[in-house]
Order: sequence, then C-alpha cells, then structure tokens
Amino acid sequence: MMQAIKLKAKEYKSGVKPIWCPGCGHFSVLNAITKAMAGLGIDKDNTVLVSGIGCSSRLPAYVDSYGFHGVHGRGLAIAQGLKVARPDLTVMALGGDGDGFSIGGNHFIHACRRNVNMTYIAMDNEVYGMTKGQASPTTPMDWDHSKLTPHGPGVRPFKPAALALAAGAPWIARAYSGNPNQMAKLIAEAVAHPGFSFLHVMSQCITFCPEQTDWKAIVDERAEPALSDADEAARLFLHESGFQTGLLYCEQRPTWPPAGAAIVDQDALAGLAASFRV
Amino acid sequence: MSMTGTDAGSELASFLAHSLELEAEARERYGELAESMAGHRNQPVADFFRRMATEAEHHLQEVAELAVGMALPELKAWEFDWPEAEAPETSSYEALHYRMSLRQAMQLALENECAAERYYRSFASASDDPDTVRVATGFADEELQHAAELERMMADLPEQAALLREEDDEPHMPE
Repeated sequence: MMQAIKLKAKEYKSGVKPIWCPGCGHFSVLNAITKAMAGLGIDKDNTVLVSGIGCSSRLPAYVDSYGFHGVHGRGLAIAQGLKVARPDLTVMALGGDGDGFSIGGNHFIHACRRNVNMTYIAMDNEVYGMTKGQASPTTPMDWDHSKLTPHGPGVRPFKPAALALAAGAPWIARAYSGNPNQMAKLIAEAVAHPGFSFLHVMSQCITFCPEQTDWKAIVDERAEPALSDADEAARLFLHESGFQTGLLYCEQRPTWPPAGAAIVDQDALAGLAASFRV
Repeated sequence: MSMTGTDAGSELASFLAHSLELEAEARERYGELAESMAGHRNQPVADFFRRMATEAEHHLQEVAELAVGMALPELKAWEFDWPEAEAPETSSYEALHYRMSLRQAMQLALENECAAERYYRSFASASDDPDTVRVATGFADEELQHAAELERMMADLPEQAALLREEDDEPHMPE
C-alpha cells in the first residue's frame, strides 16, 4: 500500500552524481523515475530499484531508495524474487538492451509470462556503451560505427515489444528520453498497473551512436488508446517503426504468485538465513 | 499590489506554477550538466553551466517571492502545459556532447533563454488578466535581457568549428 507523501522529484535523488556522458538519455530516465515517484507520492523506504550491469544499470545508486546493483542480466530475477518475498514493496527493475535482451534475455521472456506485479524499464540505446560501443541485440543490422562490426552486425535486431507480447507481458509501453515528462507519466502508470509492466525506453547514446540525436524527429506519440487485443498488438509490433511512444498494449490477467498462495515458509526461511550467518 | 489570496484556479496562479517549474527545471538541468561536464574534464563548459544553474536559482527565488501567500495548483510533472516536450528553458539532451565548446554551450543557453522569452510573451499575449499580462511581460523582458547578455559574452569568443560528435577512441577489444 503506497502512502501519499509530498516530496519533490529532486528529493528522490541520492547525493551520488551520475557519471554518464553529458547528453546521455539515461539522465532523462532518472529524472522521469524521480518525477513519477513524486507524482505517485511513493514511500522511498518501501521502494527498491534493481539492476544488472551496464551504463543504465548504475541508475539505482542515483535514487534515494533501496537499490540492488546485481549481476549482468539478472536484475529481473532478483527483482521478481524480491517482489514475491515482499509484495508490500514497490519494485522496479532497470537495465539496458544488452543486459535485458542478450545476457538477461531468458529472464526477460519468463518475467513477461510469469506476470509478477512489478515494473521493468529497459533503456535501449542499441549499443554496449560501457565497453565502448559494440553491437547489441537491438543494433540495426547495418550499423557500421564499431570497428568490431565494420560492416554492421548483419543480424536482424530484436523487437522488444513484440518479444514481450509473445512472451505474455500484459502491459507494454514505449518512451523516449527526449520526453521525460511523458516517460514519467508512463512510469507512474506502469507502477500502478497490477502486474508485470514493461516500459521500453529509447534512450540515446550520444557518444557511440551520435546519429541517435535524430530520434527526436522520428518519435511519434501514439494518439489512439492502448490495444487490448493481442492479435492487433502483434500486427502493430511486427510492422511499426519502433518509435511510437505511449501505452501500446494493456490487458488484465492474474499475477504470480496466485493470491493467497503460501509460497514462503517462514520457518524454512529463518533456517536458511541462519545457515548463512558467519 | 498584493497577490496574496489569489485562487489556485486563477490564471495567474497557473502561470506562476508554470514559471516556478520552468526555472526549477532549468536549474536542475544546468546543474546536472555542470556535474557531468566536470566529470568529463570539460571545465570551461562545466563552469558556464554552473553559472547558468545559479542564474536559474535566482530567477526561481524571484518567482517564489512573487507567489508567497498564493495558493498555486499542485501539478504532477506531466500535467504542465508546455509548447514542447519539456519546459522551455530546459536544455535538450540531444543537443549536448561532452566535447562541446564554450561557444556551443552558450549558443544552447541562448536558445533556451529565447524559448523562455517566447513562452512568457505568448502567455502574456493570450491572457486577458491584467496581473498575468504584467507579470508574464516582465518575465519575458528579463529573459530578453539574459539573451542579450549571452550574445555579448559570445561576441568575445572566437568562432569555432562544428561539434565533432564521432567517438574516435579505439574500441575496447578484450582478448
């Protein structure tokens, strides 16, 4: 149960200064998250941000809430476990396109089908930025800016929204780092959605993909209401440009674990905790 | 004239709420950019953005003083009505680069000041409320002065080549 707390967005930021490049889209995501938290009046002491590895996965350190900077691609696994063990918490998992769709790709599809009541924000800049600009699962097949793939990766990029839909995600939206206020609204809606909410953020890498500064001209805010028919959504996600923003698909379905299911044996948990004491 | 007691639903209250957000967003963004530019060893630009953050803080305090005693509408970040995606004086992320020069940073700030001036001017011209027109026109005139000051500062700087955005470091190639 969230409490109505009146804090400004900046009061949800920690004192840790981001080390991202100036102009990095991840600043915008950080601002959108804190604006959403302020808008919802979220209790930061009952909020946990979980991430994997990569530039974007540094984000939990910059928010004044609990955070867990996990191992590469495993942010979703940690976040789901946390939410199942502590359903009272607001849990958000965060990461980049490499972390979420390559190293953590398996966790992504199973998080979509499992439908734990939490939010996943994937910051997609189509590149591995932290290791200096290698092709990722969402890199265009002809992107030839890296000396490691001088003729482009030559592999069709993932379509994260289509993948999420096929795997069973009930809430799918897309945002753009150039519009942090729309993103904040979507994050607020994602947190309020009773189930797994997937927000795909086109978050520019100004350093290794300078051509992404052109995204501003091609993003298109969806005017129509979100689709609730999976067939229609599949057609949309397979054929769209990938730059349509807004809530794209929303359905209601039971979350996991089922209501009332006793999945945590407190005695067994205490015994497990005791076994780790040194 | 006292504006104390102005209703939160009034045009002036809405205008001041937007003005506070505009200046707060400018301060936050300039402060954020100053930190990140300093982290990337672009100290002249970091210093300039720090100065702009301080300027925005001063303007924020001026607006806050005008609004003392007034009930302003409490809006969520996405409920403000801006001409574009973000508040007019907020630097767009895609316009930035860690290699940008002081002149380019000043040009960006100049565009921000002009955007704020246009915003305040259009608010004044669209309003029938004399108080709102007077305050919005005053803010627009201030932004115009800031723009002129930036232009004077830029006149003292040498012309520079276009921003080199391509990263030319060697890629990291682990064995």
